[in-house]
Formats: sequence, C-alpha cells, structure tokens
Amino acid sequence: MHISDGVLSEPVIAAGWIITIILIFVTFRIRMKEVDIVEEIPKFSIMTAAFFVASLIHLPIGPTSVHPILNGLIGVILGPIAYASMFVGLILQALLFQHGGITTIGVNALMVGIPAIIVYYIFKGGYGKGISLKLLAVICGGLAIAMSAVLLVVVLVSTGQDFYGLAQVAFVAHLPLIVIEGILTGAIVAYIARVKPELLPMKLKIKEDLK
Amino acid sequence: MSYPKIDKYSYLETPLHQFDPRAKIISLIVLIFSFAFISEIIIAITAVIFSILLVIISRIPLSFVTKCLKFPAFFVFTIIIVMAFTVEGNIIVDLKYLNVTNQGVELGALIFLRALAALMIAFLLLSTSKFDEIIKAMYMLKIPNVMVQVISFSYRYIFVLIDELSTLRTAMYARGFKFKLDMYSFSAIGNMIGMLLIKSYDRGERVYRSMIARGYTGNPNLFVTFSMNRNDYLISTILLIFALIVQIIPVIS
Repeated sequence: MHISDGVLSEPVIAAGWIITIILIFVTFRIRMKEVDIVEEIPKFSIMTAAFFVASLIHLPIGPTSVHPILNGLIGVILGPIAYASMFVGLILQALLFQHGGITTIGVNALMVGIPAIIVYYIFKGGYGKGISLKLLAVICGGLAIAMSAVLLVVVLVSTGQDFYGLAQVAFVAHLPLIVIEGILTGAIVAYIARVKPELLPMKLKIKEDLK
Repeated sequence: MSYPKIDKYSYLETPLHQFDPRAKIISLIVLIFSFAFISEIIIAITAVIFSILLVIISRIPLSFVTKCLKFPAFFVFTIIIVMAFTVEGNIIVDLKYLNVTNQGVELGALIFLRALAALMIAFLLLSTSKFDEIIKAMYMLKIPNVMVQVISFSYRYIFVLIDELSTLRTAMYARGFKFKLDMYSFSAIGNMIGMLLIKSYDRGERVYRSMIARGYTGNPNLFVTFSMNRNDYLISTILLIFALIVQIIPVIS
C-alpha cells in the first residue's frame, strides 16, 4: 500500500499533501469541539502507537507474509480523526523503517485515510439499520482495503499512462488482502464488543450482538 | 517482534551526526524532494553516488545500512520488473505474451535510482540523530505543536506496546497456537490484536491521569537550545546547492 519516493509525478504528490493537510486540519477541528486537547493528546497517541504495532504483525500466507493495514478498524474505532492517526503512523514508518517514502506521505495517508473515514459512517449507519455487528465489521474491513486499492490505481494512473500496467498488478496484489482484512476486522470488532464495548463508536443494543 | 533500531549508531561523532538537527531536517528533506523528481538517468546515478558518499561520511557500519535498506530497496526493485514488462514501446525481449520494452526498462531504472537515492537520505535523517533531537528540532521549526506531541508520544509508546504484544504472543504460543490459514487462526490473531487495543485504551486513561497530576497542560517544555555554527552552515549550503543543481541541470542543457 505504500508508494515509495520517486514513483509519482509532482502534481500528484502536491495534491496528496494539500488534501491530507486540509483533512487533518478539519478532522482535528471537529474533534477538538468534542474533547479537551489535553486529554486527547495522550489517548490518541497511545491508540496510534497500538495500531502501528498491530501493523507490525506478519502473517505467513503462502510463500510470502502480509502485514495487516487495518485502516477499516482504525476508522471504526477512532472516527474521522483516524486520518491523522494514519498520517502519524506513516511518518513513523518512513522514519523508523524506511517503508514508504517521505515525499509520498501525503498520498499514502490519503489512500488509507479516506476509506477509513467513509467506513466509519458506514459502520455507524449500518448498525443503526440493524445489520449484525460482526458482518458489518467484516464488510467495513474489506471495503476499506478495496477502496484503498481503487485509490492506489487512481493515483498511479493519474501519474502517467506508463503506469497502467503497474496499477493493474498492484490492484490484483491487493485482492487477497480484502478477504484477510475483512475476516481480521470482524474478529477484532467482535472481541472488542464482548470485552470493552465502549471502544466502539455507538452503544450496543442487545446481548444478541455479542455472540 | 523487535524494536525499531534505526538510531542504533546515533552516538557516533561525525560531521553528519553533529550537524544541527534543524538544519539537518530541512536540508535532507529538500534533498529528498529534489531526488524524487530527477528527470534523467545520469543525474539519478550521480544522486545515488552522492547519497552513498553521505552514508560513508556518516561512518554507519555497512552491515547495518544493508540490514535497514534491503527490504525497502527490494520492494522498489519489483517496480522495475513490473515496469519492464508493462510499459509499451520498442520491444527488446519477446516472450510471446510478455514483452520487455526499452522504455519500460528505462523508466523503471530511473524510478529505482531516484527511490534508492531518496531512501538513503531518509535513512540518514534518523540514523544520525537521536529521536529526541529531531522532536525538539520539529518544535523549533514551528511544526504544529499537537502534531509534534502526537508523533513523540506515539514513538515512545511503540516500545511499550511491542513489549505488550510480545507478552500476548508468548502466552498464545505457549498454549500451543500455530498459525494456519483457517478461521480459527484469524480469530485468535484478531483476539490478540483486540486485547492489545483494549490494553492500550486503558493505558491511555492511566497515562492521561498521571500526566495531568504532574501538571501537563498540552504545551511542550523545552530545556535545550541548539545553536548553528560555521560547520552547520557549510554542510547545509553544500546539501542545498546539490539539491538545486540536480533540478537545474536538465533545464539548462
């Protein structure tokens, strides 16, 4: 999911940074109306660190190993401010492990962050309509990655015609991740609903959901 | 699970290590942006050589450099291969369904070299300075206070939470867990990540209370100041001029 330095063209990089800065500013503003900043900084940082560490887990699948991105889960738990969380995660990843790039932090944040925000509203809305919690989490986890893969294609294709082939290969490579992330997000949300439901963005209705 | 060890050799005393952190952040980031948009292969090769020289000056052991950079570099290398087969143009190798094209190899190589040069510079940014110094420099560079604090707290808690996750993993494997491609394994891993998140959430509550108790107001306290000396100006000038040359040459010629 990370695009490295040197792949994309100047306009795409610039657009990525502009959109990212605007979205972080807006989501932070909205969040700050609800909570005190002194309380938010430590709690938000620790959750960001937790998601960062969770994405370090490598699952051996076939000949390679994949690590979960979990952007659907981050969106479901943190809400729109998930965008900033993933932005920080990407900065740390670029600095500590040289994964992804420095110039592409804006674009990479956009690819994982926008689906996270969308999924948050789907999760809340879907639960209000009475869809079962676990199914909804599976859908949100998978959908977030699917949307990220589509954004990846958009980003690559808008860089130039020469990138059509790379975009196709990258898209196909992300297809198995949709299933994996869906199942994983379903399992995590079901567990959280059983053990600590206040982590989820809404009040759970009935005990039935917890099974 | 292992800790991020990027600043393992940040204690060395070379010109790059003693370079003022504020000037270092600015000049290296300008250099990365400049390298990422190089338009010709020859210049990209020069940039790679320049980056290698900087890595040599930093005296970071070669084994550590390769250990840190081999996976990111391999990841970028796969792009060359994909590009070689997918970009349309003059065919140099004809394999019935898959064709290697001249343009594809060239574009792929250009991307690889740009990425490699930028990768080495990004590696130097943190491997030659302590994370604390970078954080302090970020405050002084007027990057929004909330952002810098979130970055620094997240960084600190990564180490704590890696320990936490290792404990959870040890407990799971001690009970005979083996990862297989089935629903049970995914649900077990899901429970483990869920537990990590819940523990982190509770820890956030405790950390918040203890910070409030110690008078935390949301503002950073800085006790150190940096001062630029002649060497700092010299190094940043060299780096910035190189960043500029790389972009100017194709325009002139």
